[in-house]
Amino acid sequence: MTHRFRTLRSLFLISRSGTPRAAFLGSSWPAKMAAPVGKAARGWSVLALGLRSVVPRLPGLTQVRWSRYGPEYKDPQIDKEYYRKPLAELTEEEKYEQELRKIQLIKAAPAAKTSSVFEDPVISKFTNMMMKGGNKVLARSLMTQTLEAVKRKQFEKYHAASAQEQATIERNPYTIFHQALKNCEPVIGLVPILRGGHFYQVPVPLPDRRRRFLAMKWMITECREKKHRRMLMPEKLSHELLEAFHNQGPVVKKKQDMHKMAEANRALAHYRWW
Amino acid sequence: MLKRMTRLVSGARQLDPGRLLHGGPQAPQSLAAHPDNQVPDGSPRAVSCTSEGDPARHGEQHEARHYCIPLQDLRTTFPHGLPPRFGMQVRTFNEACLMVRRPALELLRYLKNTNFAHPAVRYVLYGEKGTGKTLSLCHVIHFCAKQDWLILHIPDAHLWVKNCRDLLQSTYNKQRFDQPVEASSWLKNFKTANERFLSQIKVQEKYVWNKRESTEKGRPLGEVVEQGLTRVRNATDAVGIVLKELKSQSRLGAFRLLVAVDGVNALWGRTTLKREDKSPVAPEELALVHSVRKMVRNDWHGGAIVLTLSQTGSLFKPRKAYLPQELLGKEGFDALDPFIPILVSNYSPKEFESCIQYYLENSWLQHEKAHTEEGKKELLFLSNANPGQLERLCAYL
Repeated sequence: MTHRFRTLRSLFLISRSGTPRAAFLGSSWPAKMAAPVGKAARGWSVLALGLRSVVPRLPGLTQVRWSRYGPEYKDPQIDKEYYRKPLAELTEEEKYEQELRKIQLIKAAPAAKTSSVFEDPVISKFTNMMMKGGNKVLARSLMTQTLEAVKRKQFEKYHAASAQEQATIERNPYTIFHQALKNCEPVIGLVPILRGGHFYQVPVPLPDRRRRFLAMKWMITECREKKHRRMLMPEKLSHELLEAFHNQGPVVKKKQDMHKMAEANRALAHYRWW
Repeated sequence: MLKRMTRLVSGARQLDPGRLLHGGPQAPQSLAAHPDNQVPDGSPRAVSCTSEGDPARHGEQHEARHYCIPLQDLRTTFPHGLPPRFGMQVRTFNEACLMVRRPALELLRYLKNTNFAHPAVRYVLYGEKGTGKTLSLCHVIHFCAKQDWLILHIPDAHLWVKNCRDLLQSTYNKQRFDQPVEASSWLKNFKTANERFLSQIKVQEKYVWNKRESTEKGRPLGEVVEQGLTRVRNATDAVGIVLKELKSQSRLGAFRLLVAVDGVNALWGRTTLKREDKSPVAPEELALVHSVRKMVRNDWHGGAIVLTLSQTGSLFKPRKAYLPQELLGKEGFDALDPFIPILVSNYSPKEFESCIQYYLENSWLQHEKAHTEEGKKELLFLSNANPGQLERLCAYL
């Protein structure tokens, strides 16, 4: 539910008077004002350098949860190629940018982001979603074991296949991973909308990031729940990824069920106002 | 040969022939400068593989190249199995390729020049974790098997001093303990590896197992092994008898004996085994360890002893320890002294290049960036040219 309001860049704001606004989790009111948090009233905080938020200030509202970086902090440039370009090749714009970076304040790069050539943002996101309790070491090792398991299974199939089939067998675990997740992404989703005291499941087009999130979430939930007690995660996950790569398996089935329900409820599509 | 030709067709896709043949700034010139007579030049596998399958003929020109062990030989020479990750690689590639490296070549040279009239020389392979001690030992064992030596191979001595479910009081000596499961599995593998010698070697004493069974003098050694396999209670004693007989008869010159123990520091460390009253068991109280300790002494001749130190399975030793003094302790070092230490270190640039080429030829490195120079530099940095780490890195790339 809350994902809908992310697009409005909802921040948790509290009113100056301190009274929590009416809970509108059930309302269909297009909430331009964000959800209240029951915190004590605070006046305007002292606008120290680096503690400002980007969102235009609304009268009577102070931000409670914000990034420690102000708007003047720029994102770090991780790409090695950017720094390796010889001076002669730079355009005016790039030269200006580089000069500017010497003076500007720059945020610290997150620990998980490296300038490695083997880095993949999708794999990093998936690893983070698999992580439990902050145990990134375990999550990363599970991810690498999964990729290895996928590779070994494909190699086995490759050696057992005939010459014509060998050309069709994909052995790169990264392509398999990306294709499998793409096959699991739903195109259209359902959102509960309150009308006349009842919740209706309304079909709604999903933004890209929501689709990617759903694909990964379904994959991880499937692998965690529907497996034998003694089966290890890499084994199960590699099996599910290979099935999804071939457009089979329970995760793709879930996506197709979602599509079918959206198709069935298409009469309610006009309840959507955005 | 046909299999290799079809593999060349699929392997050539991933390779950059320009780099190999003309030699880029990274490619060590020595690789291209040593053409192999058997494999045609210009083919991708000439660089990282050699078709010389006999370790006896391996020399300096084969350094940093991989050679294949036929899969049938694997079952007879290594019945205990190879190290687990190497075993997985063998199953995935359908071939067992070992790299010929300097420590192994040195050892082979010493073994070729052994004087069998002198007492057995002890060679100790030591080095940091993942540098290739066990696989160098496997190389040496393959050489000796090809030369028709009798191989006494203990794949991991650490397994005998930990996680033992049943410890029986020894029938031979009341102070010591028997390990029936470990002893019988070792006897089974010993029988598979040295089938042909078991009928030739005759026992020189009468051994009485119990009231009804005994082995007469002059019977083949195979009977002792059978007795150990059928009566699991006597397995440890059978192992002791086998070791004693081999030691006494190796001087007669009918066969040459190779004693290969991996993780020999387990024999002089501590155990995690406990008696019924929870008091700890010292290694010398285990009959198996006692017999192997006697075997590793250099009071016999007609063979050689090759040992490996290993921290990986060891008990109560710090992770960074790899020197003989640290791992063996005072007692072990004095027992093994004098020995020839052979250091096994990380890959040299040539060996690293060869390993990467081998993986590329087998299409093991699937990541598109792994084929580039940047990728190779990064692999070198991440693994520090450590063979074990490199293997683990390339497994998921």
